[in-house]
Amino acid sequence: MIRKMLSISILILGMSSCVVVKEYEKINLNDPDMVLGDKKVDRNVATAHSYREAAVGANGGKTGGGCGCN
Amino acid sequence: MEVKLEAAVAVINLKNLNKNNKATLVTVFLMLFTATGVIAQVQDSIQVYKKRVLETAEVDFLTSYYSQDGDNAAVSGGIGTEELTDITATFIVAIPLNDDDVLTIDAGVSAYTSASSSNVGPFDDGPASPFQASSGASSGDLWASVSGNYSHSSDDRNQIWSGKASVSSEYDYFSLGLGGSYTRLFNEKNTEISINANIFLDTWKTIYPTELRPFEANGNGLSDDLFIRNTITGNTNYAPSFNEISDKGRNSYSVGLGFSQILHKNVQGSLSLDVIQQEGLLSTPFQRVYFSDVADSFIDQFQLADDIERLPDSRTKVALGGRLNWYLTERLVLRTSYRYYFDNWGINSHTASVELPIKLSDKFTIYPSYRFYNQTAADYFAPYEQHLSTAEFYTSDYDLSEYSANQFGFGVSYTDIFAKLHISKFGLKSVDLKFSQYDRDTTFNFSMISAGLKFVSD
Repeated sequence: MIRKMLSISILILGMSSCVVVKEYEKINLNDPDMVLGDKKVDRNVATAHSYREAAVGANGGKTGGGCGCN
Repeated sequence: MEVKLEAAVAVINLKNLNKNNKATLVTVFLMLFTATGVIAQVQDSIQVYKKRVLETAEVDFLTSYYSQDGDNAAVSGGIGTEELTDITATFIVAIPLNDDDVLTIDAGVSAYTSASSSNVGPFDDGPASPFQASSGASSGDLWASVSGNYSHSSDDRNQIWSGKASVSSEYDYFSLGLGGSYTRLFNEKNTEISINANIFLDTWKTIYPTELRPFEANGNGLSDDLFIRNTITGNTNYAPSFNEISDKGRNSYSVGLGFSQILHKNVQGSLSLDVIQQEGLLSTPFQRVYFSDVADSFIDQFQLADDIERLPDSRTKVALGGRLNWYLTERLVLRTSYRYYFDNWGINSHTASVELPIKLSDKFTIYPSYRFYNQTAADYFAPYEQHLSTAEFYTSDYDLSEYSANQFGFGVSYTDIFAKLHISKFGLKSVDLKFSQYDRDTTFNFSMISAGLKFVSD
């Protein structure tokens, strides 16, 4: 799995040098649905995941900001 | 230009000029000096002009109603009701302090009632049973949290620094968090790398299952009032192997690396790596464990704990993630993510999600979504009555068991870029509603309704 992730990383790093999108071409990339992150409305369901799933990061649920024990 | 004008004036020999010429020269000099000043001012104003990171103050209000159920409560050793409901409300206020700096205050409360945690003390009223809620003090709690985040962007907007502090509290848990991040954009803002670090310093107020409290250091054992008021059946010589927890702290340290890249004018993706180290009390003090090699004792239908769960005081977690978003058409966007996780407790996990925002009009968007999650069991997990008392670590918390889960979601979003609808000085910019249904391949499931309102100040 780590090998796969490294392959993907190398692929994306390689692609980064292939294209430069100018500011005036970023209208679609600036669409709110294109944000590379969770939407705010999904925040509480992400908190539920952090309470009920073992694969938790360091910023919610059982590892800080609450025991996540109920 | 300023330097060149000054040099031009300096090379003129005043001795070769007559009175009128001198007057003319002084006039020209003054004009040039004034012009130079004006030009310099214009240049300064060009240099300092920059788009504000955040134009006006923004307020987000988030709320949700959560309901879960299942038959594997960790409080009662892997059997019993997991019924729980929770209501959460959060305000997030982002304030531009100047062109470059933004202060964000995030405050929230969450109130829950739980049949599962009510059975920390199941002998309060009526016949005790792991499948029935009790009315004790542990049947509900209030969680409150406040955090502040300060971010500063460089003049060219290619560097962002941020610092964060947070405090959260509930009856048996207190958490203090500190963190910071640095983000660098380059390649005409097509590429972004970031690093973040967080520390959480948490403290437990240890609450043990009711029947174990008489076996604390100063307890009365079987002479306690609990065992006088209630009759023990099964093994009447109840003698749990219980020792109180001495270390009540839990510290978490995390470092995260991020990389995002624009791949095309319609496609962008990101990769992330998070490493987390935790130290201290990583088990939950009121979660029971029943041993297969210890005779069972009961009060009513409730089995008395053989011990609380015991877990190592150290855990290292690593998570690798990726996202890829694709603006397919003016009406359709594809959002995908994948995350692989492993830790030194033996848990491996895969998470994959896909969301398909469909723009019905310039104001309404619908969001069907699907998320898959699975995990292997922790080395220390075993179901009800399957642990041995000779083991060093044990838990029957099904959140640490092997399982797969599917989550389906459907959301609706309303956006008014002109924020015409007003409440006081704030215009309503967007409204989001979302329903999520989560089902494990065990008995556990939850559903959640979430809502988010975004306001911008005039």
